Amino acid sequence: MMFELAEEHRMLKDLVAKFVDQELIPLEPAALARETRGEKMGLSHDEEARLHAKCKELGLWGLDVPEQFGGANLPAVALMAVNEELGRTCIPFFFPPDSPNLHMLMAACNEDQKQRYMLPYASGDKKSAIAISEPGAGGDPSGMTTRAVKDGDEWVINGRKIWVSRVPQVDFTIVMARVGEGKRHEGITAFLVDKGTPGFIIEREIPMIGGQRTYELVFDNLRLPDAQVLGTIGQGFAPMQLRLTVRRLQMGAWCTGMAVRALDMMISQAKQRTTFGVKLSDRQAVQWWIADAATRIHACRLMVLHAAAKQDSGGDVRTEASMVKLVATELAQDVIDHAMQTFGAMGMTRELPLQMMMQKVRTMRIYEGPSEVHRMVIARRLIDGRK
Amino acid sequence: MKILVPVKRVVDYNVKVRVKSDGTGVETAGVKMSMNPFDEIGVEEAVRLKEKGVASEIIAVSLGLPACAETIRTALAMGADRGILVETDVDLQPLAVAKLLAAIAAKEQPGLIILGKQAIDDDMSATGPMLAALLGWPQGTFASKVTVEDGKLLVTREVDGGLESVSLNLPAIITTDLRLNEPRYASLPNIMKARKKPIETVKPADLGVDPAPRLTVVSVAEPPKRQAGVKVGSVAELVSKLKNEAKVI
Repeated sequence: MMFELAEEHRMLKDLVAKFVDQELIPLEPAALARETRGEKMGLSHDEEARLHAKCKELGLWGLDVPEQFGGANLPAVALMAVNEELGRTCIPFFFPPDSPNLHMLMAACNEDQKQRYMLPYASGDKKSAIAISEPGAGGDPSGMTTRAVKDGDEWVINGRKIWVSRVPQVDFTIVMARVGEGKRHEGITAFLVDKGTPGFIIEREIPMIGGQRTYELVFDNLRLPDAQVLGTIGQGFAPMQLRLTVRRLQMGAWCTGMAVRALDMMISQAKQRTTFGVKLSDRQAVQWWIADAATRIHACRLMVLHAAAKQDSGGDVRTEASMVKLVATELAQDVIDHAMQTFGAMGMTRELPLQMMMQKVRTMRIYEGPSEVHRMVIARRLIDGRK
Repeated sequence: MKILVPVKRVVDYNVKVRVKSDGTGVETAGVKMSMNPFDEIGVEEAVRLKEKGVASEIIAVSLGLPACAETIRTALAMGADRGILVETDVDLQPLAVAKLLAAIAAKEQPGLIILGKQAIDDDMSATGPMLAALLGWPQGTFASKVTVEDGKLLVTREVDGGLESVSLNLPAIITTDLRLNEPRYASLPNIMKARKKPIETVKPADLGVDPAPRLTVVSVAEPPKRQAGVKVGSVAELVSKLKNEAKVI
């Protein structure tokens, strides 16, 4: 049993750590100032182009894309190390392509779709979104009511989706809809919808905390040819679940990194700041925050790496992914909260990244399944598995 | 021309070093270790010389515990071609390192050896000059610029009064200063390629060198803690204290 990253993955982690320290963290003050002024926090086109050029130069591209498609074919454990480092900054940035949809496309694309969607996505030429949640079906996606009905050679989709990220910037959106009258997972099917397809309507932009935006979508007689069905009709739930699992592990690594940054800031501040004649670092309350944070970060990192290693060896990690997502988001929330408390009024300013990390982690306790749903799922698997 | 680049495994520059409780040295157990930053500059310079077509092969050498192979691997990922690990658990001092490197130089016949001007752990700044003396080669220490022209090495050195330019015959020794270059990131493809590059392991005995320490460390202590200052009430009081207590005016 190995508890250490392989040497080359450690070196990759160091490389990403340098990238984060030298390329991303310096962008934080300007991004936070933009957000404070009510502008978009995300990187400007120029900033992103410059970073992407740097990423290509460093080979930080297509990390989990298979070699035959031009990627580095790294295992999930290596991706976890990468994502932990990326989690240390509040700058929204990832090395293209974003993993979850990549894994869904790899699992479900036919040969034609591989050429049209998966390969351009893997190379970073196309961006994608996925529409799962509905106004009445968020944490329980199997309750979705958006319907796809066959009409001759075409599918006609009607319904509504919400909380979809990135829609205006993407080239295609994976839309989950129900075919037939089935209940729960039955009939759920994935469709590939190109930008600008008639009937695909961006109803409104919803400003979110954490410098994020989501979109509500309406499908009004959205007509798609058969070739746009992603995977098998009625069998869309499993590839979607795989995608969610990939995202949950990634979130576990991000949150570990967020907690690492917050702990780092907490220690720096505790060593500098004196109140009532005593250094904060000499106060037991602060020492316990530091000790608990470090201990829980260690535990969380091991959970993330274990789940990733199990996934790499072909194991089913749905339960572990739920546990990781639950533990990691709550860990990051607590450590960031204690870091903000350590900084006092300064921790409340919009100049420090802590408040932005706090907003982000608050959304992370909801998206990809709220903590309570994950607890329910974990408990259900344990209870149902008992004779 | 072959370039030999010694790389030392030291406590990472971001780590605050702590003295061992028995005063025999600094704590290295459980501490993040990295390549000595000045050696990283040396590797970068060697890689640049190879990219310019001046050098044909870069050999990274590290001396010490088996874990030094990691430091060599980092150099390989930056662009060195192969590595040599001189494995020993003896506490290596500059003279021993210089003798071992001289033995490797005799075997490998490099045209240039690029070392860091000092290692950030003990700050001895001794290995490069000792190696030059042992080999009888010219040396350009504290280099901030290096060019090779017509078989000669032009080195700009950072000295107290400014910059000094020296011309050296090859083979030669360079020790790097901070401003020589900015080391590159080891890219992911190069990290992967580094896995396949060979690292040869030798023992000091294989090189005919006795690495036993010649110096005895009596004790290692933390720098003295600064005393708290005092606030004075007036300029007159300040002058009086400077005159009578500090006795500086």
